[in-house]
Amino acid sequence: MDTQVIGHRTPRVDGEFKLTGRADYTVDWQAQNMLYGYPVPASIAHGTLEKLHLDTARAMPGVVDIFHHGHFPKLYRSPNSPTHQDQVSEVRLPFEDERIHYDGQYIALVVAESFEQARAAAHAVHADYRRESGAIASLLDTDREGRLLASEGASRGDPEKAFDEAPVKIDHTYHIAAESHMQMEVHATLAEWRDERLIVHESSQGVVYQHKAMARIFGLPDESVEVVSHYIGSGFGNKLFMWPHAVATAGAAQMLGRPVKTILSRQQDMESGGNRPASRQRLRLAADPDGRLVSMRHDSTTETSFVHRYVDSLGSATPSLYACDNVAISQRLLEVHHGTPCPMRAPGETSGIHALETALDELAVELEMDPLELRRRNYADQDPASELPWSSKHLDDCYTSAAKRFGWERRDPAPGAMRDGDEIIGWGMATASWPALRMPCAARVELRDDGSVMAACGTQDIGTGTYTIVAQTVAELSGVPLKDIEVRLGESTLPAGPLSGGSMVTATALPAVAAALRNAFDALKEVATGEGGAFEGSDPESLEIEGGALKDDQGKRVSFGEMLTQQKLGSVNGEGQAAPGDEKGQYSFRSFGAHFVEVRWDPGISRLRVARVVSSIDIGRAINPSAARNQVEGSIVMGIGMALTEKLDYDPRDARLINNNYADYIVPCHADMPEIGVELLDNPDYAFNEFGARGVGEIGLTGIAAAIGNAVYHATGKRIRDLPITLEKVMDT
Amino acid sequence: MNMKEYSRQGDEAGSAETAVTLSVNGEMHQLRISPNVVLLDALRDRLGLTGTKKGCDHGQCGACTVHLDGQAINSCLKLAVMCEGHEVTTVEGLANDAGLHPVQQAFLEHDAYQCGFCTPGQMMSATALLEDERIGTDDAAVREAMSGNICRCGAYKNILAAIQTARGQGQAAPTAGKTS
Repeated sequence: MDTQVIGHRTPRVDGEFKLTGRADYTVDWQAQNMLYGYPVPASIAHGTLEKLHLDTARAMPGVVDIFHHGHFPKLYRSPNSPTHQDQVSEVRLPFEDERIHYDGQYIALVVAESFEQARAAAHAVHADYRRESGAIASLLDTDREGRLLASEGASRGDPEKAFDEAPVKIDHTYHIAAESHMQMEVHATLAEWRDERLIVHESSQGVVYQHKAMARIFGLPDESVEVVSHYIGSGFGNKLFMWPHAVATAGAAQMLGRPVKTILSRQQDMESGGNRPASRQRLRLAADPDGRLVSMRHDSTTETSFVHRYVDSLGSATPSLYACDNVAISQRLLEVHHGTPCPMRAPGETSGIHALETALDELAVELEMDPLELRRRNYADQDPASELPWSSKHLDDCYTSAAKRFGWERRDPAPGAMRDGDEIIGWGMATASWPALRMPCAARVELRDDGSVMAACGTQDIGTGTYTIVAQTVAELSGVPLKDIEVRLGESTLPAGPLSGGSMVTATALPAVAAALRNAFDALKEVATGEGGAFEGSDPESLEIEGGALKDDQGKRVSFGEMLTQQKLGSVNGEGQAAPGDEKGQYSFRSFGAHFVEVRWDPGISRLRVARVVSSIDIGRAINPSAARNQVEGSIVMGIGMALTEKLDYDPRDARLINNNYADYIVPCHADMPEIGVELLDNPDYAFNEFGARGVGEIGLTGIAAAIGNAVYHATGKRIRDLPITLEKVMDT
Repeated sequence: MNMKEYSRQGDEAGSAETAVTLSVNGEMHQLRISPNVVLLDALRDRLGLTGTKKGCDHGQCGACTVHLDGQAINSCLKLAVMCEGHEVTTVEGLANDAGLHPVQQAFLEHDAYQCGFCTPGQMMSATALLEDERIGTDDAAVREAMSGNICRCGAYKNILAAIQTARGQGQAAPTAGKTS
């Protein structure tokens, strides 16, 4: 497809709003007569709330009401069905009973006239608890194995026998600490009831899902709910599905008859607003002397809470990544007494690929083989799990290009052999991968008499660039310049669009927008060829779209706006839908890439830094190459945090979260930045959709922590199997 | 729904309130607020200047960065009543009738953001550091000086490029308020 706008770098169409402070994030909204909600979190992780002391708080200035168990509307639970799009992050309703299942669980919501008053009163609420012993702080602190999940297992061949008979093998266990999303905009809700209708502003990655869940919880018809999320201070997965603060806020607004806005504190957000669950993974790999994998077993355990069942599917990539006849994956789920986990960027596979790619590095050491060569020898030319051909796979090009740009051929394989002054240099690499997902989607397009075009879809732009790529798609197909295109997203009353998750929005929404636009063109052609139309009597099929105008084969050209104005029409509309089709049974769809990392370890002052990252990633076509590259670079930054610093620290004595803030939970900052060189291959995947795009939000995070850990091994000779690789582990082991 | 149809109602039920006059982006605002209101919440909740963002409320993330007499500060750590007699500049004060500030323009061109939530704070720190002769001009110095501004989307590489581009273009617009 020869394109003029798609595949070309363009500044974001919403850029000026974000840069001038005019973008309307949820926290920025205010309503007439609005009140402020402030949750009161439990200060124990396991037990029962016996008594709430509210008199002091109730008497404080500005306090309107305090909601809690026994003083809150009776609501329904959401069915929590992915099929019916009413999934929530926690099925338990706020204040449902007096059991405490985790530190930070809401025991009350104070509502007051100002934020300061609500916060002060919330701090004045005191609670008596009956504490129970035996709180499980983390999977990292227990030998409990959890229960086996039949839904997550898969196998082929006889991996046990092959392992036992193989000459070269490794068997290691890896742990990854729970991580916090740390999105800049905390969870926030503004709920308002107008004429029995519930209008919710929520910082959400899924307005359609929250709409349905709110309707089920409040017993409302779908038509009586509206969820809005125009700008989202990112989410990384924890804003996919609604959390209890939103229900508490909407319930309070209903009882008080006034709008209520609740913005979580950072501490509350980290305690009860989602996390990537800690994991334990045992990898057993075996190879023949030439490095061909003969057995792969990947057994995982992850956490969930006692109030919701969340499964992070760690092994899902493993059967597809390498050619091996004998493979088995299994997964267990362990309930712990901390806030409910949820998807976090590249959920499951980020953790799973980390363990697999670290284990492969260990196997390469056993084989005395270059780790890149080991991956090449096990290259999967088709998907070994489904036995279907890949729609488009260019991982070999990624390996070659990234290795060349990095200078991998100069690597001395001996640990600690490469030095630069006081620093020891370590080089490591890993494969990156994420499935290409696509869902059904609807959209609407309006061609207007002023020559502008409006495209609308009930999906969101979480910072990935959805506003911009929808506008690019419209510009490409209509020839209307970007400045004359308006994109509306983030409203649940728009045609239903997908969650902003799983890297699926590009492949899901753009075909629906294109379908809607083509239907709008047909509507315009009907006007043009009808009575009094500029092309009256012509065959609509003979008219072409060019530069925002209709054109016939005689060279006559009339712009969209002129045509509508002539006919006294304000606009014509097109609705469109798109969904994956038969290709799903013909191909396996997955993106691949490769990360090469240089770390520098100064043993004199115990300083460990990531110095350089070189990545080549194949995502099919990048609709907007600058926004797409930004996604991969940002993933690499997040991966540096995962590898070296990020860990939610739950106190093993009482399961309370110790480091619930930006100072104690360490995310990468400007000064941590290495030199980053990201290349996006450009191989459009037209088997997947007409634009050839597979999505880009997640893949960059997969494999990066493994590449860093493998580089640390190469520098220090120490294999740190538990993330994060903090300095004391490098110093002590 | 349009944000303009909403307006903030006063603190009619507030505790002992204090009168304070704030000069923000060259405009004077008279407020009656309780003494525990921080500058960040005064700007956002009372003056409707919501471009300045709250990321942590603890001076740990930098999203709330504004200028006080041209110096970058965390507005979540500053009581509003202490700001009388000083000039506050927020992201809303960066652009002028001639268009975007050079730093804003450079952020646009370098795609120096993703979600945009930390961006006002990043730009306020950037405009301050470009005027600060104590801070070196090399990349390492800029990274160090910008390290109080977290970008969880990880657009640091592009933010650095944008700052260095804006430096090259002389960063013409005033940063300490339009009245000066």
